[in-house]
Amino acid sequence: MRSALLRSMMLAAGALTATLIWSPSVSGQASKNRPVVAGCPSVSAKFHPCALEKAKTFSPPRMPDGTPNLQGIWDAPLAMGFQNIEDYPGNPAPGGFGPAVSVIVDPADGKVPYFPWARAQRDENVAKYIDPYAQCLPTGVPRQMANFRTRQITQSGNMISIVNEAGGHIYRVVYMDGRPHLSPTFKLWMGDSLGRWDGNTLVIETTNLNGRWWYDSMGHFASDALKVTERLTLVDADTLHYQATMEDPKVYSRPWTMAFPLERIKEKGYEQMEEACHEGDHDAAGFVLGGYQPYLGPRFPQ
Amino acid sequence: MKQILFALVSITLVPTLSYAQAAMHRTPDGKPDLSGVWQVMNTAVWDIQDHNAEKGIPAGLGVVEGGELPYTPAAAQKKKANFENRATADTEAKCFLPGVPRITYMPFPFQIVQTPAQVTFLYEYAHAVRNVFMNTPHIEGQLYWWMGDSRGRWDGDTLVVDVTDFNDETWFDRAGNFHSDALHVVERYTLVDADHINYEATIEDAKVFTRPWKMSMILNRHTEKNFRLLEYECFSN
Repeated sequence: MRSALLRSMMLAAGALTATLIWSPSVSGQASKNRPVVAGCPSVSAKFHPCALEKAKTFSPPRMPDGTPNLQGIWDAPLAMGFQNIEDYPGNPAPGGFGPAVSVIVDPADGKVPYFPWARAQRDENVAKYIDPYAQCLPTGVPRQMANFRTRQITQSGNMISIVNEAGGHIYRVVYMDGRPHLSPTFKLWMGDSLGRWDGNTLVIETTNLNGRWWYDSMGHFASDALKVTERLTLVDADTLHYQATMEDPKVYSRPWTMAFPLERIKEKGYEQMEEACHEGDHDAAGFVLGGYQPYLGPRFPQ
Repeated sequence: MKQILFALVSITLVPTLSYAQAAMHRTPDGKPDLSGVWQVMNTAVWDIQDHNAEKGIPAGLGVVEGGELPYTPAAAQKKKANFENRATADTEAKCFLPGVPRITYMPFPFQIVQTPAQVTFLYEYAHAVRNVFMNTPHIEGQLYWWMGDSRGRWDGDTLVVDVTDFNDETWFDRAGNFHSDALHVVERYTLVDADHINYEATIEDAKVFTRPWKMSMILNRHTEKNFRLLEYECFSN
């Protein structure tokens, strides 16, 4: 049992990561610090094919109903909280981000295949707007899976819950009972997630997203037409291969895919803690003072 | 004749069998299965005590056993002041997490996800989450959490959740009923039939109340086809 003091310190650390201020020495470069995960290179472009190949011969533990058991508490340290989902050289300014390696595995250049206007919008996002996550708004999908601190996967009956520790309060319920998606009327921060098994892989299709969140701290965005198809596959007992394919004909010229590892928290008795964010958060006020505006979603060309 | 007698016996006996003795749905480890989506059907969110209707507020029977709240004299004064300042002083109006037991009777559904080691409550209101860790001790030292530190155990077929480590910033309702950071809540969740949970919360707070008191209400299962939690991301709406 960790002490209250330690927990308080970790809460404080969590609150810090919710802001844009993130020391380069903390973030580092994933591939430099952790070159190998589950016997595969940790950089997404190399991890992706390697882990999928390894998963072919791994026999996952199973639930009583025979489906693979993905339950546990998972960390995504190599996704670095999605400070930037594309390659990034790093910003030497105080409070600037460290370098990042793209998590995008398709297209091969590691860049989001924006329409030209949308690439310009992304640049404008960074210059003008506050990352919605820094205002304690929900991450959306797939940022939920890369966010700081942990997420817990629980399989129960006809649903799977994915509950995050950081970012105030975020969770998704994935229904596995074959129900249809919600009507397009619904626009949700975390979307409507329906799941199914494809062999040993959990496939989750998410629609009804509201297009008001960013993928990362650097303005990468989608619209409310986005469909995300995630695939979660155990590579070994303690590593998940995570991939998400994004389709949004309003914003991207073609579908694109990101991939990275999720790693099991093996600390015995680890418990997710409360991270209140909006309650008493003052970061957003700082951004407003800095001239940044709240982000309300993409502005489409006339 | 035998058939008539059997029918008579059945009619008289069946209603006296409790749900526990009947075919209660249980998890593989033999515990009552509380998983599902639940919601109260009462007006406690406005006032946990008996109250008349006002514009936009339905009248409602209180949920407090015995009706009265045993405030200390000073606390009774504070409650009065809270009521007068309720439009601005209630942190729910700022979309903050509403604490326990208030989250239970917010007018939104919530989902229970049950495993032997952990029962998780996912609330539609503000994506609030409560992780109830089973058969584990409270965290050492005092923390000041909006939703407290929840530890569960089974008392027969009742899920008992002991909640401590609150801050003093949440109220019990929109009428100014309040607590301090000495709040200690013991919740009891008991299935009375397949679609109803009897919910009780015993409240102890020596800084505010002269004795423990109890509230109780029924949680109703959502049985609508394809029902699911939506979102109430309060402060972004």
